[in-house]
Amino acid sequence: MIDTVRLTLFIRYLLVLAVNVGVASVSNAAPLPGLSSLSDSVVRESAIAFVNTTTSPGLEGATLTVDDGNRQSEQWRSSLGFAAEFTLKNHIYNGYWGLAVVGGSLNDKVVLTGDDGQPVTLDMTRDVVALSGSFGLSYPVNQHFKLRPYLSLSVSDLQTEGIVDGLLTTAPSGNATTTVEFNSGAQMLSTTGSIDALYSRWFGDNRLELSAHYHLIYTDSFSEDNPVLVTDAWNDVLQLKSRYSGPTRLSSIGRPWRWQLYANHVNFLSQDNLSLGYTSLFEFGAGMEWQMNIKPLDWFGWQMVGLKAGVITSSNVEGYFLGLTAR
Amino acid sequence: MNLRFIIFICSGIFLYACVQPPVFKGDGFALVRSNYPIVKVNGKAVEPLYKLDIEAGENTLVIVYNTYQYDYDCTFSWSAVTNTVYEVTDQENKYPLTLYRWVRTNSLWASRLDPLDPLECVRKPRRGNVAAE
Repeated sequence: MIDTVRLTLFIRYLLVLAVNVGVASVSNAAPLPGLSSLSDSVVRESAIAFVNTTTSPGLEGATLTVDDGNRQSEQWRSSLGFAAEFTLKNHIYNGYWGLAVVGGSLNDKVVLTGDDGQPVTLDMTRDVVALSGSFGLSYPVNQHFKLRPYLSLSVSDLQTEGIVDGLLTTAPSGNATTTVEFNSGAQMLSTTGSIDALYSRWFGDNRLELSAHYHLIYTDSFSEDNPVLVTDAWNDVLQLKSRYSGPTRLSSIGRPWRWQLYANHVNFLSQDNLSLGYTSLFEFGAGMEWQMNIKPLDWFGWQMVGLKAGVITSSNVEGYFLGLTAR
Repeated sequence: MNLRFIIFICSGIFLYACVQPPVFKGDGFALVRSNYPIVKVNGKAVEPLYKLDIEAGENTLVIVYNTYQYDYDCTFSWSAVTNTVYEVTDQENKYPLTLYRWVRTNSLWASRLDPLDPLECVRKPRRGNVAAE
């Protein structure tokens, strides 16, 4: 019930703050009939949650489907990036850097009940493109364990388009209509402080890797056409990752292939379930990695390129991952 | 037009300069580049080095992998080939350090070939002076 009310408020705010109006026009000042009072926070949280789930460091490509009855949504994210350590001679610690271009999209369909009891449908699409860079240090505690604090900066461009059907309003022509279209844009600057704890151990030719990653994200959002998205927010994300890999008999160009199994968990600690329909994900999968072992620009080592496939699951969420990996 | 030409020339110089051909001390020598300090060469202790010309043939180096808890003295022994570059780095393999044969593939990247594990890596309490954090 509370969720329904909040979703109703969310729709109303989207409508009130709409800029480009398709079928019907909505004034920023005029409240829409049939909807309850406003809530800025839901609109903000939803937009920032989408950007964070797409651009958080350490997250990889994914396609997610959320289905919880009143809500059906499809979300995908993909990134092209690379991160590596580099040696700082005369120091025990190493440097760490990363660069990534990230893209993602969300199609969110929500069915609500208006104040008068009528069904109201929101069909919304969000798209984001982001450029992210990371820089930090890596502290080897011993052969098996290291700590890696680093800072990431990302710039994101978020575009939102939506159609709301089921609310009686007035089109510019003066005719009554029940459909309102809107779109808006926002640019977000995110600063993420991360700390990774990484453990690895060899068992014969097989290797076990366990890691925990905590990200504290500060997002500053700017929008010329949606005042609600002129805001800032703090969020945090926890990831737990495990990977087990071993040798194969395969080789290409004299370089060996290794198999891998992995299981990951990501928890968007401060994210409201209402924002995207989930707050945590589990990912299980397998893949193959080719040890190409080159050194681009004679600067940093690029050890592996591989193919990975997995399933993603959580409460009301199903998804999969299929893509290239590089490290 | 001139600006494009200058950009083209500068880009070419930049790309060519990325991975430079190695320079050797002379015939009969190989080059070792290490991301970690080389502290012993063929049984003789030396001041920590990161680049070393060695004579072709059998060589034994001790290279220290430093961590905050321990130092790992890794001993590499192999037959170096003349006019060849070897590179020692950490790649989280079985041993803390691995020796590769470094080959300049082109001006954009080099290859690390023929990985060689150390004979042993002896774990010792951290020295503190080999690498100052």
